[in-house]
Amino acid sequence: MNGFSPQLGLYLVIATPAIAAILALLPLSRASELVARTASLVTFGASCALLVTGASGRWGPYLGLDPLSDVFLFMVTGIYATSTWYSRGYLRSIHEAFLTPQIYYALLSAFAFAMISVLVVTDLGLMWIGVEATTVASALLIVLERKPASVEAAWRYTLIASAGLTIALFALLILYTATGTLDGFALAAAPPVVTLPIEMAVALALVGYGTKVGLFPMHTWLPDAHSEAPSPISAMFSGVLLPTALYAFLRVYRVLPEPTPALVSNLVLAFGVVTSLVAAFLLQRQRSFKRLLAYSSMEVMGLAVIGIAVGGIALYGALLLLVAHAFAKSAAFYCAGNVLRGTGTNRIDEVRDLRGRMPWTGAGWVVSAAAVTGAPPFGTFLGELLIVVGALATGAIWVAGVVVVAILVAFLGVNSQIGRMVFGEADSETAPIPAGSDTGWGVAYLNLAMAFAIGVATLPYLSEALREAAVQLGGALP
Amino acid sequence: MDPTAEVIALVGIGILLTALYLQSESFVDPLIRGISLQSLLLAVLLGWLAWTEQSIDLALLAGLAVVVRAIFIPYVLRRQIRAFRWRLREIHAAHRVTGHALAAVALAIIAWFVFQETLASVFPQPGAALPFVLMIQGLLMLATRTNTIVQVIGYLEEENAVVYAGALFAQAFPLFVEVVVFLDVLGVVLVAVILSIQRDVTGTPEEAALEELSG
Repeated sequence: MNGFSPQLGLYLVIATPAIAAILALLPLSRASELVARTASLVTFGASCALLVTGASGRWGPYLGLDPLSDVFLFMVTGIYATSTWYSRGYLRSIHEAFLTPQIYYALLSAFAFAMISVLVVTDLGLMWIGVEATTVASALLIVLERKPASVEAAWRYTLIASAGLTIALFALLILYTATGTLDGFALAAAPPVVTLPIEMAVALALVGYGTKVGLFPMHTWLPDAHSEAPSPISAMFSGVLLPTALYAFLRVYRVLPEPTPALVSNLVLAFGVVTSLVAAFLLQRQRSFKRLLAYSSMEVMGLAVIGIAVGGIALYGALLLLVAHAFAKSAAFYCAGNVLRGTGTNRIDEVRDLRGRMPWTGAGWVVSAAAVTGAPPFGTFLGELLIVVGALATGAIWVAGVVVVAILVAFLGVNSQIGRMVFGEADSETAPIPAGSDTGWGVAYLNLAMAFAIGVATLPYLSEALREAAVQLGGALP
Repeated sequence: MDPTAEVIALVGIGILLTALYLQSESFVDPLIRGISLQSLLLAVLLGWLAWTEQSIDLALLAGLAVVVRAIFIPYVLRRQIRAFRWRLREIHAAHRVTGHALAAVALAIIAWFVFQETLASVFPQPGAALPFVLMIQGLLMLATRTNTIVQVIGYLEEENAVVYAGALFAQAFPLFVEVVVFLDVLGVVLVAVILSIQRDVTGTPEEAALEELSG
């Protein structure tokens, strides 16, 4: 990658989805899809180049990159690309869409742009605007299928997420008044003396951004929005929107010097523990397979938050878990979209024998279920293992115990239910699957391959960036 | 007494009273008028500060408070309920109004004390706790009400709290005007798009209890 300019890569990553969002609105229905597909590939290519070159530094007063943002950019643009490519077949299956393809692709690119903007700005205020922009861009995508439930889900999402983000904005007001700056890079480089107001600001940021991350008890929008959004958008929600909100919190959290004050780290730990346990048990009683996946994402976010609170090697595990989970969970949602298109239902008990009726999707569905729940050799397994090891290393045996319980309960819950859908016998009254439904699994397999590669450590540049990001956040190397 | 301090105190009391009134009202039309009044009070404070400090940013915020939150959004909300304006009340809240009002007062007192204990050292200005109290009141409304229009009012109250906080103690907050503009855009998206779709699809401004969204 000699001669590659990080500045050019940065501008490409920001500008391409923004331009695509505008161009997609041109009155040429096929062009909007082509523009979005091309833009998503260019954006992903640029973020790969930034990752490989280890781009780091500041450009102007507001833009900057470091290993943490490089890793998250790779993740967000990767899922943006695969969701864009998966969308064509999914849109064709919707009979009464609320949005035209032009508006759908414009909003999809705007959604990606909003997430990317969170990752490339150094100012915490601008970062907040980016997180709020993700709500505006994605809320309308949820109502694509014009069902009462999807309208209700969009409503709850917008309202609850916005209410949470208002709390985050309060946190920033306090932080700014206490420190005199909102430059996240500068604050992380020279952390202020810890005072009660600064701790209060970080705690409020946890509640505020935690609402968007899906932390209990502010999670109520999450299962509704994930289950009612079209599958490519659900993939972006679960795979990268939740981690992007967590990234915004991490930037505020890193304002605190090492070691993190016990008051704040214990609060973060408590949110993580309760969220992972509640989600693991709630997913057992789900009747919709997309809600099942949504609760699984909530459980993973809880585990990642535990890793952040524990620090050390667990923090590296948390970052690894987030990246591997993004690819695995998006694959699961693409398969879920196929199942929904093929069977016309999202109820677990109404879907059986996918092995025989949709063999390619069925296989992907089983493997992605295993991947999202931390089965070896996927990257999610390694990430979860490192969180447990990190907790044990710090002597927090009860935390390691909670993580193991949450992982096992979630693993059994997700895999048993999806196993029944794939291997269970269909009765004679089961409607046949329409011809041509077992398509569009290519991107799911691609993302599963990525989750696998992350697990067996064959992605050297990513591993290196992950290590640097963990160290930058005060973590340790495995 | 410093005239600015007097204006801050008077407007602060007015905003607090409107917040408590909103908690104790179950009819939707008076609620819309109430949030409009609260936004106007905030605009008065912003206008006064803009004039005394010769700040264009604050003048812009005052203008936004009047145009978007005191006039435009309330107008759209009242159009949404025009067919049954004088009758529409939140059924679920109607028989719990006393409880809401008491909870609102209790939360206001608790929020005040929490602020004094944790944040007063960096915010010594008189009345600095009021935006924090107002934010808690907005959250209470969002958490306890099920009517979507009333929830929009809760959201607007939260936004008013943020603007109020910014005006009182963080005027130099970078991009503050942009942030408020953004919140207003979101408010408009909420009322003008999603609320309209909800009425079209479900035919009711009440939050639906959908089986599909249970669990």
